[in-house]
Amino acid sequence: MIQFKALLIKELREAFRDKRALMVALSMGLLAPIMIMVISKTMIKEIVDNPPIYVQFTGAEFAPKLIEKFAVNNILQFANVPEDEKYAWQERNIEVDIPKDFAEKMLAGKAIDVVLRADFGKKASSSPIRRVKEVVREYSLAIGYKRLLVRGVDINLLQPIVLQEQDTALPTSNAVMVSMFLGIYLLMGAFVSGLSIAIDSSAGERERNVLEMLLCQPVSTLKIVLAKMTCASAISVLSIVIMLVLTTVSVGFIDLTKIGATFSLNAFSIAALLLLLIPLCFFATALQLFFSFQAKSFKEAQSTVSMLIMLPAMVPFAIMMIDDKPEWVNWLPISGQSMLMEDVFKGLPVDWAVLASTTAITVAMTVALVLALAHKLKSEKVVMSLS
Amino acid sequence: MNIKWQSLLALSLLSFSSLLLADNNDTQKNNKEILTLENCHLKGIKSQVQCGTLQVPENYSLPDGETITVNFAVLPAIDSSQNKTPLMFLAGGPGQASVELAAHIFSTFAEIKKSHDIILVDQRGTGKSHPLACDENEVSNAYEIIPEDFSPQEIKDCIAQFTGDLSQYNSENAIRDFDAVRVALGHDKINIYGGSYGTRAALVYMRLFPNALKSVVLDSVGPIEVPIGTFGQSSARSFNLLLDNCQQDESCNTAYPSLKDDFKAVITRLEQAPVNIKIAHPRLGTKTDFVLSRSKFISNLRMQLYSMQTRPLVPLVIHQAFLGNYQPMVGLIAMSEGGMGMYVGLTLNVVCNEDFPKITTEMFAGDADNTFGGNDSHSAWLQACPLWPKYAVSEDFYQSVTANIPTLILSGNLDPVTPPSNGDESAKTLPNNHHIVSKNSAHIVASTPCGIEIVNEFIETLDPKNLDESCLAELKSETFMTHLNGNL
Repeated sequence: MIQFKALLIKELREAFRDKRALMVALSMGLLAPIMIMVISKTMIKEIVDNPPIYVQFTGAEFAPKLIEKFAVNNILQFANVPEDEKYAWQERNIEVDIPKDFAEKMLAGKAIDVVLRADFGKKASSSPIRRVKEVVREYSLAIGYKRLLVRGVDINLLQPIVLQEQDTALPTSNAVMVSMFLGIYLLMGAFVSGLSIAIDSSAGERERNVLEMLLCQPVSTLKIVLAKMTCASAISVLSIVIMLVLTTVSVGFIDLTKIGATFSLNAFSIAALLLLLIPLCFFATALQLFFSFQAKSFKEAQSTVSMLIMLPAMVPFAIMMIDDKPEWVNWLPISGQSMLMEDVFKGLPVDWAVLASTTAITVAMTVALVLALAHKLKSEKVVMSLS
Repeated sequence: MNIKWQSLLALSLLSFSSLLLADNNDTQKNNKEILTLENCHLKGIKSQVQCGTLQVPENYSLPDGETITVNFAVLPAIDSSQNKTPLMFLAGGPGQASVELAAHIFSTFAEIKKSHDIILVDQRGTGKSHPLACDENEVSNAYEIIPEDFSPQEIKDCIAQFTGDLSQYNSENAIRDFDAVRVALGHDKINIYGGSYGTRAALVYMRLFPNALKSVVLDSVGPIEVPIGTFGQSSARSFNLLLDNCQQDESCNTAYPSLKDDFKAVITRLEQAPVNIKIAHPRLGTKTDFVLSRSKFISNLRMQLYSMQTRPLVPLVIHQAFLGNYQPMVGLIAMSEGGMGMYVGLTLNVVCNEDFPKITTEMFAGDADNTFGGNDSHSAWLQACPLWPKYAVSEDFYQSVTANIPTLILSGNLDPVTPPSNGDESAKTLPNNHHIVSKNSAHIVASTPCGIEIVNEFIETLDPKNLDESCLAELKSETFMTHLNGNL
């Protein structure tokens, strides 16, 4: 135990010596909450706010009520565009043509062709186009309803079937947008934060010939591996805790209620998340240590291990795409945690059996990796990087 | 036969909005325990809300006697982390069931629901709280019947169907139920919003349980001092304002230069004899009779005066009727054919006992002296109330309310049933209030986003005198429909 403690202190000292590397390790925890806040704010703005749209109207004078309706919905004439936005709206060039027989056809009850001309493929135009279409549709529908009403027709006839949607999600569910990002960032955090330290303490130490010295000491290789893993994992755990705490704080600055959502994590959810993620942090560093000891050089270790961090980014996406998931997906590391996190975010009760089995499998794989690595370190091949 | 209920309905009241119909579909459960609360779906609301029931004594002076089940729902706040005081919504009528209005409130009160739970309780006698409804299994032909054919026998048949002690279905007991729900849900205090008759209920709440209320919103007030039932003067005032607005609007004035005369001519014609024509049934498409009497014409027009969405149709309907085209009127009747979700049994039980006795012959005569419907709004009460079982109302009930609770009073200037003068009446005696009159609103000011914004600001600040009312000035008056094919 004393030996392990000494080894761990040594590893931690080394990790904390390089302040810049440490900052990089923790940056994930610091940046993710800011990213979540910024992305959510932009998305909410796009969904809820109706910023002014400037449209080139021709024949506006033929349909004053329609133009008024546009104006109420913040769709304005191009002539009113402020100087600084002029270029952008000129580029989008959304045109609406109102025919001069608008009034005549309206009173005659004939269909009126209003033209909407724009580059429909341009992303910047898609929201304005949608809004213009929506206003015209609503305006047209309202007139249609009234026309029927004043002809003595029951306007409810226009709605033979009314689809009543019933959402079974709990009212306490957290905002999907935030929880999706946070879920991915947490997995990434578990994998990325300990990365540089894991590489440095394995392939790095070998290049600096520290490893050789260490292995010459009368300590078991298992203890050496455990100390290295604990050190790197501690940094990832720290990063995740920072991320969780900062996210709960930063989300408070977003008015999610605008999109009918909310986000809050109580102590229980945070505890459940940590319970899920801590084993994963250990698994991640064990995996990284294993591969960087395999590598012939520091540089090779870096590139091999970098490939590993694709896992946490890819797995959740893959799971999202598969609608009918086979049951074993629940139990695997990363995918299991990812799905359990989703339940925690939705406020659903935690499925302890699944949590226990995922954790058990994760821990078992970690133990296997550690033992294999400890065994490997006994051979001089590793030290000489001859694997 | 229940046919006349529909037409009687058309003659009433202080409904929350004349455009609402709703029927909830959550499950009714047996009630062993006192309070139940569970997640449920209500019609027209996608997300889950909470539904509950509470057992209360039918007669509060006999706590061990008969019990009834009070049905309620909670629309949970989106962000409940701030633990803000909930808002209880008191529905109109009397006779509307709050829970049946859930979908409407869910969308219009969205701003408030962001951080406040909204509590909806079916007033006893409505919805699923021991409803006083008459058998309505046979849908009547709203096109053939006229209010003038109303027969007292139908009232008697209806009364015979009720179970329970009718004298207990009064305003005060309704408030005792509401407060019991508040206590059962574990709230020390609540905010209340009353619309229309809901304001009367709110005033009773203020008198009975002043300590349970943090703030009160009275929207389109039915004060204790003004009996419900005489809408002649107020609807004439609302109608005349509509005529003025039409005259001031260039396109409306051009389309209908002599609207007032058109109206008078139609009334004179209908007074001589009801119009009787064949029409295609608005919903079925089959041939059917359509009978239009003076009272039917007036009462349907009056219903359109309640809402800023339907007021724009009024000039066209009058002018077309003048020209002999009654289809627009048929369309309006079709719109409300399904009823308005009013539990008329409760309506009459409350009004006939609490208000009708307070209306003197002189008051009826004065109210009938107007240029719109004359005494038309009185006939329902005059015919039904003498037949209705009586209960005694305590003198306390008629005392002006003086509770010192922050109170926001809202009135729509164009309102046909609760004119701004009603709001002034309540403002006189309430110590901490502010009365806002919205120029271009009709019945229920909080039916606009602007109105809700003001209510929301009020329940946040509890300072009725310093609210930002500026958005009310931006509300536009009616955009009248000037042609059978729409506006230009």
